[in-house]
Amino acid sequence: MSPLPSMGSRSRRFDAPDKALGRERFAADEYPENLLWAGALRAGAPHGLVRGVDTARAEAMPGVVAVLTAGDVPGANRQGFIYWDMPVLCGDKVRHAGDPVALVVAETREILAEALLAIEPDIEPLPVVDGLDAALAPDAPRVHDLETGNVLKQATVRKGDARAALDRCDVVIEETFFTPQQAHCFLETENGTARMDAAGIIHMTVSTQSPFRDRYEVGQALGIPQERLHVIAPFLGGGFGGKDGVTVQCLLALAAMHAGGRPVKMWWSREESLLAGYKRHAARMRFRLGAGADGALRALVCDLDYDTGAYAHLGVEIMALGLEHASGPYRVETLEANGRCVYTNNPVAGAFRGFGVAQVSFAFEGMMDRLADRLGMDPLELRLQNAIRRGDRNGVGVAMTASTGMAECLAGLREHPLWRTRGAWVREAPPLTRRGVGVAAVLNGMGYGRGLADMAVAKVRLTVDGRFRIYNGVSDMGQGNSPTFVRMACHVLNQDESGMELVQPDTDRSHPSGSAAAGRTTYTYGKALIRACEAMRDKLLHRAAMALLVDDVADLELAPGAVRHPATGRALPLALLGSKLHPDDRCCVSEAMMPVTRDVPEGGEAFRLGFPHLIFPYAAHLARVEVDELTGRVAVADYVAFTDGGRVLDPQTYEQQVQGAVAQGLGYALWEDCAAEGGRLLATDLSTYVIPGAGDLPDIESHAVETVEESGPFGMKGIGEVGMNGPLPAVASALLRMGLPMTRAPFTPERILAALGGDDS
Amino acid sequence: MILSFTLDGEPRTLDLDPGLRAVDVLREHCGVTAPKEGCGTGECGACAVLVDGEVRLSCLMLAAQLDGRTVTTARGLGGAGPHPVQEALADRGGVQCGFCTPGVAVTAAAFLERHPDPTRAEIRDALSGNLCRCTGYHKIVDAVEDAAERMRKERGGRK
Amino acid sequence: MNVLFPATADAVLEALRAHPDARLMAGGTDLLVRRRAGAVAPGVLVCLERVADLNGVEVLGDAIRIGAATTLTAILENGAIRERLPLLRDAAGAFASPPVRNMATLGGNLCTASPAADTLPPLCVLGAEAEILSSSGTRRMPVADFVTGPGRTALEPGELLGSVTVPVPGGGTIQHFEKVGRRKAMAIAVVSLAALLRVEGGVIAEARLAWGSVGPTVVRCPEAEALLAGRAPTLETFRAAGESVRRAVRPIDDVRASAGYRRRVAANLLLRLAEKAGPAALG
Ligand SMILES: Cc1cc2nc3c(=O)[nH]c(=O)nc-3n(C[C@H](O)[C@H](O)[C@H](O)COP(=O)(O)OP(=O)(O)OC[C@H]3O[C@@H](n4cnc5c(N)ncnc54)[C@H](O)[C@@H]3O)c2cc1C
Ligand code: FES
Ligand code: FES
Repeated sequence: MSPLPSMGSRSRRFDAPDKALGRERFAADEYPENLLWAGALRAGAPHGLVRGVDTARAEAMPGVVAVLTAGDVPGANRQGFIYWDMPVLCGDKVRHAGDPVALVVAETREILAEALLAIEPDIEPLPVVDGLDAALAPDAPRVHDLETGNVLKQATVRKGDARAALDRCDVVIEETFFTPQQAHCFLETENGTARMDAAGIIHMTVSTQSPFRDRYEVGQALGIPQERLHVIAPFLGGGFGGKDGVTVQCLLALAAMHAGGRPVKMWWSREESLLAGYKRHAARMRFRLGAGADGALRALVCDLDYDTGAYAHLGVEIMALGLEHASGPYRVETLEANGRCVYTNNPVAGAFRGFGVAQVSFAFEGMMDRLADRLGMDPLELRLQNAIRRGDRNGVGVAMTASTGMAECLAGLREHPLWRTRGAWVREAPPLTRRGVGVAAVLNGMGYGRGLADMAVAKVRLTVDGRFRIYNGVSDMGQGNSPTFVRMACHVLNQDESGMELVQPDTDRSHPSGSAAAGRTTYTYGKALIRACEAMRDKLLHRAAMALLVDDVADLELAPGAVRHPATGRALPLALLGSKLHPDDRCCVSEAMMPVTRDVPEGGEAFRLGFPHLIFPYAAHLARVEVDELTGRVAVADYVAFTDGGRVLDPQTYEQQVQGAVAQGLGYALWEDCAAEGGRLLATDLSTYVIPGAGDLPDIESHAVETVEESGPFGMKGIGEVGMNGPLPAVASALLRMGLPMTRAPFTPERILAALGGDDS
Repeated sequence: MILSFTLDGEPRTLDLDPGLRAVDVLREHCGVTAPKEGCGTGECGACAVLVDGEVRLSCLMLAAQLDGRTVTTARGLGGAGPHPVQEALADRGGVQCGFCTPGVAVTAAAFLERHPDPTRAEIRDALSGNLCRCTGYHKIVDAVEDAAERMRKERGGRK
Repeated sequence: MNVLFPATADAVLEALRAHPDARLMAGGTDLLVRRRAGAVAPGVLVCLERVADLNGVEVLGDAIRIGAATTLTAILENGAIRERLPLLRDAAGAFASPPVRNMATLGGNLCTASPAADTLPPLCVLGAEAEILSSSGTRRMPVADFVTGPGRTALEPGELLGSVTVPVPGGGTIQHFEKVGRRKAMAIAVVSLAALLRVEGGVIAEARLAWGSVGPTVVRCPEAEALLAGRAPTLETFRAAGESVRRAVRPIDDVRASAGYRRRVAANLLLRLAEKAGPAALG
């Protein structure tokens, strides 16, 4: 009888039509009346002492409303999550080229630009800590005043005695891998508008993944009580982790405090976004893997160094996930994973889809390929043999009690025609071209992990006119959690989409539900929403019973637009019910929390928050890759992904996540690198920071391996991140098969040509 | 300078500095925020609009160049309703965050006017100036193929 | 800012006389990017987009004349160019992206005089001639001489590039263009090669080669051209010419690639000609 597409079927996203018409209003689309523009002056120097900032000329310019420096920041002038180490405006020291030293508020963009040029910062240069080696050198200059030098955090996680086990292995492989900083490159750069009202409350509309935590962070940094901060997070034009944590927020709020009640807009240019925005951590990963002659993994010892740039952001938690995932989706008997999170004068590294795992995926899969080579085994079979299964303990000793579909993903790949016909395809390579087919098996812990409640609070309201309004509490950066919420609500409440309204996160209207991150958005809020909708259904049946003269709610049902009594055919329109109920009675609020593991490995105590995880999505990827021998150009001809994300709620949204993540992962593998020289970025705009275009990527075939995640809403688990982790190792695997053992990403034509060897005079 | 042009079917007259960027004229001064700014340097295609029916990047155009022209953004692309490209983008999953979508929609619509029956490779070529960070392009290409079919049917139907 | 829209080339010259500080703007795809970066801040712009007599492609017997304000899209889609100057067509096809090609002009590409300008190597091997207009008359010179260095041209103040005339190579000439960028579209050339190869009786009768992005401006290599002449177009032949190419080019390191890579690839790209000329060599 349901007129709706059932859960699991393919349907159009609720948000898509307005976006296609250009009607959706993103934060960047706000141009309130009487607008002022705010902008930051960036240090330019990657490391230096701030001797002074001369703002006199800028202040004297007509149309300049305010010029602010560190002294004007009330409160702690420190932003951050756990390590409050990042100034809103730098007064003593700058630690990367994008550090802000002054903030200008002006009548127009043109005046703003001129005023920023007129400010003269006096920065005494300090020696630049330009990467891990420089940071870890014995007499390295210190980026922060830490007793541990530039090492923000060092930790070791152990399972058994891996070093001893290594000595007893039939084969031991050793290799060091390097991954670059990667920029999120969401199309909508960091921006927002803010206004302080007469009561002193600051209202902000920001492109943010974490509206609720922003209040806390801005409040701390500027010494404002949270209640005086109101944050609205409309649909984001992309996020991927780069808008998790404050970007423009503190500067904007500060600007609003000096704008005489007028609205202020700040919108980073693409150049500024590349300079000052967060990045994925560059990493160096030294791995030693020991195995039996039969291919069984006996010991893994690894040293992981993450370059967190000038500030901590989530660097320690990201490194922790690196340690946790160091052994990949495999059973390994013993493990020792050593990690260091290191300060440098590079751009600030923070959250990015694949949070610490995208890096180690390259390393552990590179080891599996090398091991297969050494043992003369098929690389896919070796992976399948060692794949973690339900009931096993993973590398850090956590029992896999949740759905575990790694082997199923690999088995799917093994039967795929592109895998079965790989030999012929490689043999048919045209002249001057090499071909190879690579595979990768990856995973990504879902949710915040132990120690940090992964909680969401869902709210649904029956409107006076009988529609249902969902108050989303977790930002939708494009991943489609909020249209999925509509879908879930339609299902539970038995309505069609025309009866639904969707409100994006707003700290005055929705409830704190955590950040859009960690593949948790649909899982956690979705669970809460199902409960809220069930409560609403129950409530409405009870409220309608009286009017319909029914004495048992079991005889009633919700139908599109009405409560019905099937036995008699009588119905009470929801519009009527809505108009009769007290506003307080038209609302249901429910919460949900993600389960966590109680298993903590030796050394895991070092991480209070976010370690380890209980539930993992998995994926097996295949890439058919061609290399042009004349130029070293790498082209991915075909791509296949098998993903275990539990039950599929909608194949379209599911494929979107897979394809988008694979695209970003291929960018990571082949093009993207925020290389800095002496702390200064070489890639400054989209002509030098290259992300893949439509012609650079193949079609991306996505298959779902449907396990059932019993704890998840409708059996699902989040797949936003796992797809990111496969492309780099899959492409590397293909290259290795062609005799190109790559250990440094991205695989630029230049590096490939060097690996091809041959004449070079 | 007094500028007169047609924007999504409506005549507009504004008195503006001719050296402003067209993208700012449309978004800030006309309140039409369908064209987005993703780079300001011609690299991303988010700001694409049709000027007298041809794709132009409004971040690399001056206000003065709008004078006397007919400008169409994603908002007015299909006239009263959505253009088939926009319907297909929504139906086929070509929209995720949606920030690139208005630029993709106008670029694809102009392309299909000239190439009613394109291959996937031709579609990828046509969209090579429209960066999308969310979709990996696969479903955008699906959508443009689908739109081509819808438009062929519409044309066939009209005959 | 003042923006002028003259309708004829004469009116453009007139405007340049009236406003000696004025800048010309054709498609604006270079100029406005430079304005954004603060590199230029013109007070008066003379916009070429509505100048009819600078726009269009005309076949003149054995040559094709292209107005300076003709867009890359118009070049790409022109039937005569597709048939008779596939080299230029391919360069236009590899240029930027469709929206940029709708705006960018041939004249703008030549006048920007970037070492990476995609149309320069083809026009040089084709022996194209630039027509320069000024209020005192018209002068002509080979495109190879028109560009005098990175960002520098032979244009004098008050002058305007009017058109480019490209001689059509004789039948049987192989025309080849390859651009190596960091991605397929929207890529500034890291190295590009334009080649004309006349193969007669299974041997190369004449070779003309020009590289982009491996020197301050287009690089020619007469030594390699001489080496190729008289030999069969095989991989060995092209490999043998590589050494002289590596000596001739003057590449630099930048964010897109190292000098060493550019040097090696400049030579390697010749090998692609073996594939293209192979069948011709047999036939
Ligand atoms: C995103 C992007 C991608 C690009 N990709 C490429 C690429 O792949 N290959 C490539 O070669 N270039 C590329 N470019 C650079 C640029 O598009 C080209 O150089 C283009 O041909 C410039 O033409 P235009 O008409 O836009 O020039 P404009 O910007 O209008 O003018 C450029 C310069 O030439 C002068 N000028 C223009 N016309 C004349 C004339 N008739 N007489 C005298 N002076 C004149 C102007 O005063 C100005 O100094 C790219 C640019 C962008 C923004
Ligand atoms: S904003 Fe115009 S192309 Fe990116
Ligand atoms: S849908 Fe987000 S950039 Fe294309």
